[in-house]
Amino acid sequence: MELALMDNLWVVVSTVLVFFMLGGFILLEAGSTRMKNAGHIAGKTIFTAGIGSLVFWAVGYGFIYGEGNAIIGLSNFFYGDFSYSGEGLSPATDFMFQMMFALVSLTIAFGGFAERAKLSAYVIFAILFSALIYPVVAHWIWGGGWLGEDGSQDFAGSTVVHLTGAMAALAATIVLKPRIGKYNKDGSSNEIAGHNQVFTALGVLVLWVGWFGFNAGSTFGVADAFLGFVALNTQLAAGAGAVAAMFIAWAVTGKADVPTTLNGALAGLVAITASCGFVEPWAAVVIGLVGGLMVFYSMKLFDKAKIDDPIFALSVHGTVGVWGTLSNGLFAVPELSTDIGWGQAGLFYGGGFTQLGVQILSVVASGIYAFVVAFIILKVMDKVMGGIRVTEEEEIIGLDLSEHGGYGYPENIPHPAENNKAGA
Amino acid sequence: MKSYAEIRHFRDEYIQTVSTNHDKLNTFHDQLMKQSVQVAMEKVQSERGEPPAPFAFFLMGSAGRFEQSIWSDQDHGIVFVGDGDCQSYFLHLGEEIVSGLVQVGYELCEGNVMASNPVWCRSVDEWKLQLETWLEEDRWDSLRHFSTFFDSRVLVGESSLLSELKVESFNVLKEQPRLFHRLAENVGFIKKGIGLFGQLLPEQHGEHSGSIHLKQTVFFPFVNSLRLVALRERILEPSTLSRFKQLPDKYHQIKSYENDFQNLLDFRLRLRKDAQDYHEVHHIAKKALSKEERQELKLMMKKGYKLFSETKIMMENECSTWL
Repeated sequence: MELALMDNLWVVVSTVLVFFMLGGFILLEAGSTRMKNAGHIAGKTIFTAGIGSLVFWAVGYGFIYGEGNAIIGLSNFFYGDFSYSGEGLSPATDFMFQMMFALVSLTIAFGGFAERAKLSAYVIFAILFSALIYPVVAHWIWGGGWLGEDGSQDFAGSTVVHLTGAMAALAATIVLKPRIGKYNKDGSSNEIAGHNQVFTALGVLVLWVGWFGFNAGSTFGVADAFLGFVALNTQLAAGAGAVAAMFIAWAVTGKADVPTTLNGALAGLVAITASCGFVEPWAAVVIGLVGGLMVFYSMKLFDKAKIDDPIFALSVHGTVGVWGTLSNGLFAVPELSTDIGWGQAGLFYGGGFTQLGVQILSVVASGIYAFVVAFIILKVMDKVMGGIRVTEEEEIIGLDLSEHGGYGYPENIPHPAENNKAGA
Repeated sequence: MKSYAEIRHFRDEYIQTVSTNHDKLNTFHDQLMKQSVQVAMEKVQSERGEPPAPFAFFLMGSAGRFEQSIWSDQDHGIVFVGDGDCQSYFLHLGEEIVSGLVQVGYELCEGNVMASNPVWCRSVDEWKLQLETWLEEDRWDSLRHFSTFFDSRVLVGESSLLSELKVESFNVLKEQPRLFHRLAENVGFIKKGIGLFGQLLPEQHGEHSGSIHLKQTVFFPFVNSLRLVALRERILEPSTLSRFKQLPDKYHQIKSYENDFQNLLDFRLRLRKDAQDYHEVHHIAKKALSKEERQELKLMMKKGYKLFSETKIMMENECSTWL
């Protein structure tokens, strides 16, 4: 009983840590974008967290963990269970922890909306993503769905949380198209620098701290004190990611670019998310290093492909989310996989290609589902709502003013309405 | 009397015929600018009468160093004999010259290093005082102003006025040799042109993405090194090539880079002769370069870095032996 209560306590602490990651996203996103959108970017994270919580309570949890079939769960809607059997996590503890993951995934998806989507688009998409996209993938892998049955290993959610969010972000960037001024007529791209690298760096640090809840909390308990090992892997991968990204940016472009370095730390974290409970520390370092290198090239590739991703959500959570999931198929050790009945060992540990195949399948299936459904939803929204992007004038004056009627930094931005009266 | 429009027309017609020869091109620029200044002087004379004192109009920057490519911006100043009362006349002249040169095709100087700016249009005495203050203040921007000033030559007027100022600054430097170290530090940032893998490092973003910024990555190390040595050896000549030529024999090591600089000038002219404006002149698209040209460019970059680091060490040694 006492151990079970400690488990509950640990998971509630982790719940708080994961929720605090939204604070990291607020700083990260606001810092990586322009001043005129700062209040909007920060504020929308709070209210979409509100929407996401309500939807998760109403249907999200039920679709994931309810009694159902291999595709979707269909019970436990409007969840509210104060019972506790005295063993394991109390239902509400488990529910709260799961909810936070849904909110993080939603926030990642909104990275693709940055600096150009209407506020109303956030509202509608927050509801639909939280009901129709995230819960389905989460059910497939964690909720007893067909991928989980296959032995897919995703310890804390490289695929479920990060890839799903990133695929929705990809659909959004494609439907919304690049920001004004991002690309020149000759096809070259401009750097639209974020307004505050200190915010961005602090955002990364807050996320990093929160990630201990994300990964180590996903042990769901304190038995064997396995959470310490998971935390160790998490720390090593994040450090390796930051180092690798700064190195590769410096080596290739001659500049030790700060945003790239910051994204490298996040890449290390995203990459180790799937594998933090399956691999040895040396492998965590390799997984983080590769994540850091990948994020640099991925950012360049999306930029070249004219996909405007203001806060690099596609690279950090998408590209690296895929790598993180696949890395299990290479590095998972038998003691933490085969021996405990959670999939197979990886390729480098004599597990052959079996687990790698399962990991590939879960990435492809989840990625396609999240992208296609998000794309359809956004296209329909675009038609029905008369466009999900703000007008050109609104984009120029900034979403703080156009969507909220105020400024994040009122002292520093002139009131355009006073200077540019139409017809004056 | 020619008009600015006529000079511009003349420029457009003939510049391509001299665009691949360094000497001819710079002589042509001198000719255009001289004519423009004459027009400006006559205009101001008709409005305000004869100049109130003898003066010299001098060029700085790439024009001062006789190192312009086909497009260039304006960097110039005026020094006059007499007191501050004359300044308003010469400032007015400076303004007229600036507007004339713009019409002839020379962009405004972003840093406002132009004879229309009181900082760069002064009497001999004020200039001396200003130079002394710049050196004594020993701030990053004041030393940068001094370096800009030192790459200068008279285009119209009394050459001796400018030489007098330069000699005056040699004297200040002689008394305070530590300034050589400070002047070397002042230009110590070199934009990286070659990466870890020996690859060229083009711009990553913006209209010039994929291009190499020639001036910052390749020219500056040569130009800055030779300026430092010229200050040390009291060489009045502003052009990098003539500074090379006038170096005493003991600088044989530095002299060995003269050919590289000559190659660099030729390289730029060869590749940039069709540039459409001032910004294009400085950017070379990596894609447009052949394999051999890339190798050539990298070699020149490396030579430049090496020259600058050798010069810097020399300056530091000189400082310490004098102290």
